[in-house]
Amino acid sequence: MSKKLSIGSMLSLIIAAALLVTSMFFPWWGMKFYAPQYPEGLDIIVYPYTLAGDIDIVNGLNHYIGMTEFSNESFPELPYMKYLVIGLAFIILLIGLLRRKKLLYVGIGLFTIGGILGIYDMKRWLKKFGTELDPKAPIELDPFVPPIIGENTIANFVTNSYFTTGAFILGAAFICTLIPLWLERKK
Amino acid sequence: MKNWIPAATGLVAGALAATVFFADFSSGPSGSATNENANKTNAEKVYVPYGEHDDYYMLSSGGHSGQLFVYGVPSMRKLRTVPVFTPDPATGYGFDDATKKMLGGFTWGDFHHPAISETDAEYDGKFVFANDVANNRIAAVDLKTFHTADIMSMPNMGGPHAGTFVTQNTEYIVMPTRFSRPLGGDYASLDQFEEKYKGIVSMVKFDQETKKFDLGYQIMLPPWSYDLSDAGKKVSGDWIVMTTYNTEFATTNLEINASQNDRDYIVLLNWKELEKKVADGQYEEINGAKVIDPTKVKGSIYAIPVAKSPHGVDFTPDGTRFIASGKLAPLMTVFSFEKAMEAVKNEDFTDEKFGIPVLPYDKVMEREVDPPGALGPLHTQYDDKGNAYNTMFISSEVIKWKIDTGEIIDRTPIHYSPGHSSAAEGDTASPDGNWLVSLNKIAKDAFLSVGPSHPESMELIDISNDKMELVYTNPVDPEPHYAQIIKADKIKTIPIYEKDEKRPNSVWSQEDTRIERKGNEVHVYGIAMRSKFIFDAKSKRPDELTVKQGDKVFIHLTNIDLDQDITHGFGIMDYNLNYEVQPGQTNTLEFTADKAGTFPIYCTNFCSALHQEMSGYLLVEPK
Repeated sequence: MSKKLSIGSMLSLIIAAALLVTSMFFPWWGMKFYAPQYPEGLDIIVYPYTLAGDIDIVNGLNHYIGMTEFSNESFPELPYMKYLVIGLAFIILLIGLLRRKKLLYVGIGLFTIGGILGIYDMKRWLKKFGTELDPKAPIELDPFVPPIIGENTIANFVTNSYFTTGAFILGAAFICTLIPLWLERKK
Repeated sequence: MKNWIPAATGLVAGALAATVFFADFSSGPSGSATNENANKTNAEKVYVPYGEHDDYYMLSSGGHSGQLFVYGVPSMRKLRTVPVFTPDPATGYGFDDATKKMLGGFTWGDFHHPAISETDAEYDGKFVFANDVANNRIAAVDLKTFHTADIMSMPNMGGPHAGTFVTQNTEYIVMPTRFSRPLGGDYASLDQFEEKYKGIVSMVKFDQETKKFDLGYQIMLPPWSYDLSDAGKKVSGDWIVMTTYNTEFATTNLEINASQNDRDYIVLLNWKELEKKVADGQYEEINGAKVIDPTKVKGSIYAIPVAKSPHGVDFTPDGTRFIASGKLAPLMTVFSFEKAMEAVKNEDFTDEKFGIPVLPYDKVMEREVDPPGALGPLHTQYDDKGNAYNTMFISSEVIKWKIDTGEIIDRTPIHYSPGHSSAAEGDTASPDGNWLVSLNKIAKDAFLSVGPSHPESMELIDISNDKMELVYTNPVDPEPHYAQIIKADKIKTIPIYEKDEKRPNSVWSQEDTRIERKGNEVHVYGIAMRSKFIFDAKSKRPDELTVKQGDKVFIHLTNIDLDQDITHGFGIMDYNLNYEVQPGQTNTLEFTADKAGTFPIYCTNFCSALHQEMSGYLLVEPK
């Protein structure tokens, strides 16, 4: 017979669900490009459902090294991300309302798996864009894989990849999902 | 009870630590903003290091080059040449369809006096207007793009030298004629000068939304020559003043014959009164213009005698006085606008010329300023401390004097022969009083020689102290007449043209590019992007254009690189054609492919890497 979760745990899970939904309104990840002639930097900004920033300019520059153009259409998962995040938020909200401890583990599990898959997906795309360069490109470059976090140098560009606001909110949501574990620990 | 001791000690220690770690121990504000130039050498005053920008734009007329020269002040670096009345291969101005139509076949203009649009007698930085003394045109340059937005021809004029001046809210751009001429430029013997020849003032309106000119109305005046004018400010806001010469009606050898009278006139016009009467239908339509005779509108026109052949007449910043520069009489005359209005009220007229009441000089004149040895005063600018600055063409100097007293404060030599000068925000209601640029006609020995004709010159003078200081001299192409200096932050340029999918003839993606034939017309809807031209993405060679000899070709080209400064050029070899598309811009080039053969096409404006490869071919099949 599973124990009921406490009111504190319930609140924590409701907050987690709210944060999850909130995170979608903020960018999750970004990459900033600097070059001598772009001292102000060019931006790629990734929301869970769309790309933003100087996508056209970056594409224009990337064609020199034969990188595939990217846009919302080149990432088939983008249209589904919204539903995945809302779905996860709904599940966590439901767990909070049902207040069943066993389900809590399921929620934490789903969240963890989702996070790992997300990072794997990003890594996969970064590798694909950086290594599958058009051999006919005017400027030949060794294949490269930009890091998910941190600095990289490609030709005249120094890139900086970083998680941002949305990802931090996502992190906070995860912590809120974990808090019940601590609250419900055996005394 | 003693619990508070550790708590208080902790707080104190914390505050102390924070002070030590985070306090700012520098010696307070350095005061650089209060008197920036006080302790600088002249070299430091003009040095603007990389990464910083000038404080002001100077928009200078380019004279008979027909161009606008844009400078930065105080560095005096030239930022750009903007073609206005003259075709310019470097930008394709006058080559692409729209600008070619705007130029109307003319290949030059004579641009003398720029006027920045004003709101409440202050520059608002939206447009600058230009006069073409040679071909009776007026132009507007959009200061968002520094592109000429519209040009209009004005009928009945004989060269709008006495423009371009705007009323205090840019209601009108005032364009008085230099030469008197029979209306419409018709034939009439010079023996009939007094009867048949007229002096016309064009009152031009400009719609800032549609960016189009409209000739509001014209004022018909006696056949005098009008030299310069100015629109009033505040109390005098409804009025325009103009200087005249050749009241002698000389029709030959004006140098001598137009310099005989001891007095010429300043003409005062009430533009608001005339506007009302024109609206009431009190005008005659002549060659498409609504022409009003001000002598038939009581209270709209007066004349004041002034020392011989004056050049500039300029309202003081507060609009209560106007100062005429004598040119041939070596003195500046301060007139009181209020006293002029008083004479008008009392109908205190000494004379009447061509039906124009003449006001009594002695009563309207407030002061004559005649610095010893100063010759050839041409033009007046102002500072924020009640001083006037006059250029002296013949004695080659700038004279600083107090308007209220006529006291001469300082004189500085100029190299050589200044025409106009321009002070920072110097003809607005609130001049800045820090910089004055003297626009000089003769450079002679100032720079390394480039042959018998030398460049003109500009001299930057620091006027922030009582004593003027000549800071810098730089050469300039022929030929600035007047310039205006505007605070840099008032001009708000756009970085790129916004993507507008509804724009006629524009194409924004490779798939939409196409070549369409309609009879013997070939329309190319193409794009320029780094580093290629695409005329038809589906064809075997997207950058090949094949037409038949005699075809009329229209190349509609859109630059889809929405990245600042990535401008693409488009030149066709042996066809004498070149134009450009700036980021996000669509432009059309129209020509007849009358020469058969093979003609390389290439990007002429260095755009980015692989610019050299950005090319294609025009193939013209022989008949």
